[in-house]
Amino acid sequence: MHDVIASYFPVLVFGVIAVGIAGAMLGGSLLAGHQKPYAEKTSAYECGFEAFDDARRRFDVRFYLVAILFIIFDLEVAFLFPWAVSLSHVGLFGFLSMLGFLGMLTVGFIYEWCKGALDWD
Amino acid sequence: MNWIIAFPELVLTLCGLVILTVGVVQKKSTNPFAACSMLTIAAFAITGFLVTVSPDGSGYEHVFVNDGFARFMKVLSLIGGALATIMTLSYRGTSGGGRFELPVLILFSTIGTMLMASSDNMMTLFVGLELSSLAIYILCAFDRDSVVSSESGLKYFILGSLASGLLLYGISLTYGYGGTMEYGAIRTVLIQSGGASLGLMLGIVFLIAGLAFKLSAVPFHMWTPDVYQGAPTPVTAYLAGAPKIATFALILRIMAGPFGALAPQWQLLIEMISVLSMVFGSLAAIPQTNIKRLMAYSSIGHMGYALMGLAAATPGGIRGTLVYLTTYLFMNVGVFAGIAAMRRKGHETTDIADLSGLGRTSPGLALMMAIFMFSMLGMPPTAGFFGKLMVFSAAYGAGLYGLLAIGAITSAIGAYYYLRIVKVMYFDASAPAFDTRSPSLAFLSVSMGIVTALFVLVLGPVTSAAQAAASALIG
Repeated sequence: MHDVIASYFPVLVFGVIAVGIAGAMLGGSLLAGHQKPYAEKTSAYECGFEAFDDARRRFDVRFYLVAILFIIFDLEVAFLFPWAVSLSHVGLFGFLSMLGFLGMLTVGFIYEWCKGALDWD
Repeated sequence: MNWIIAFPELVLTLCGLVILTVGVVQKKSTNPFAACSMLTIAAFAITGFLVTVSPDGSGYEHVFVNDGFARFMKVLSLIGGALATIMTLSYRGTSGGGRFELPVLILFSTIGTMLMASSDNMMTLFVGLELSSLAIYILCAFDRDSVVSSESGLKYFILGSLASGLLLYGISLTYGYGGTMEYGAIRTVLIQSGGASLGLMLGIVFLIAGLAFKLSAVPFHMWTPDVYQGAPTPVTAYLAGAPKIATFALILRIMAGPFGALAPQWQLLIEMISVLSMVFGSLAAIPQTNIKRLMAYSSIGHMGYALMGLAAATPGGIRGTLVYLTTYLFMNVGVFAGIAAMRRKGHETTDIADLSGLGRTSPGLALMMAIFMFSMLGMPPTAGFFGKLMVFSAAYGAGLYGLLAIGAITSAIGAYYYLRIVKVMYFDASAPAFDTRSPSLAFLSVSMGIVTALFVLVLGPVTSAAQAAASALIG
């Protein structure tokens, strides 16, 4: 049991370093930087929503569509990584299987493109 | 790598992708619905042929198996998919005009049912079931401008996800206590250990619960009436056919294969589900006024009868279940083709009262509906009689006299509501006539009527095919 915990020591080191660097960056900018906030500067930008608001507010259903489309290609990458690592084990059959999977996703992509799911208007 | 055993599935998948692409690249002015439906039917026909000539074997690292049983179930699934696609040809949603995704989704769902029939591993079981179910969730809500259709899709999705969760829990327990997910290996483990641990038994119970949900067997039937009523009629016809047959393929395969050594333990469970389904299906159908709801309760009852063959746990019982499912597939499609033809001025009507006097206003349709009703209640010489006869005789052979008695009583109760429809059609005052039937619905109801009425002519080949399938399952 002790060995198992000891084997996680590098993770602890990693965590400490990460927290240290992130803290140094945030704290440094807080201490050294010039703080001149005004309404326009502190407002949310690019994402389009107030950061702190009622979670049950209505929003455009198109955001949902974009999120769904994102998930498909997100998962594709999640499958590609283990496949790329184990390519020498899965051989030609595994290679072709993944190509089939990608082809299937491409058909889905053509479908959503032709259906106009990628146009915002 | 013995990849050729899944060739029919690969071909059907490829066809589905091609049809989807063909449908979506069409110009806005042309509606590719009819063309895509025709292509889908052709794809089903080609795949059906490929299934019948596909070789036996196991492959893909023991997750996929092809044997006589898988072929029998796949052919039934494909027939169910093709008949439902023919029915969609006349389907127009609330907003008018068919959308080509309907046949494509039926096709993808059917690929799932084929995978279920070929599963040799809990993983394939789950993937096949989900592939088939996810397409059906969309199909149920396909008429998206209609509130009832959206409601049916949402209900089926939420309850179906719950059932998938139960099933996964069962699979994980089986894996945890059995140490493997391969059917053959589970069987070996169970025979060597000479019995199942409590955890494994719990896993089997959860597996049965998850599959019984998809079968709409009592006590997991609550979704059935709402989903059947709300979904578009061709989708309901599909839902009651291919997916149920494939779920039966799963439950038969895992009960006879990996858990075959535990038959005395699970037999009682299947018996209880069977009895409850038969009793509930026949009693709850009596007060119904909507024919789609009535058919939902009727299907719950029919699943009870079909489970009777599994409860017997003999090759004869499995043969009976397979013949029962075959007859049910045809008469069910016939009834729903009749229901889809119940349209007045372009609007669907689904009340039983709307059938009043159909024997005078539309004698052909009334005759077909009467044949299906007689078959549903098991009147000789229609198809339904032979299915019932086989499961009843299997139950008798296995000494399940209580089950047999309850089956006989519920059949008699069922006769009341089936005959009530015949009475409404022939003896009640005439309601206004329905719209002219579209050719596809007329073709379906007449051809299914002929199959149902003259099933005795093909009884021999069907029975011997079912016999071969059953003996592939129990060596």
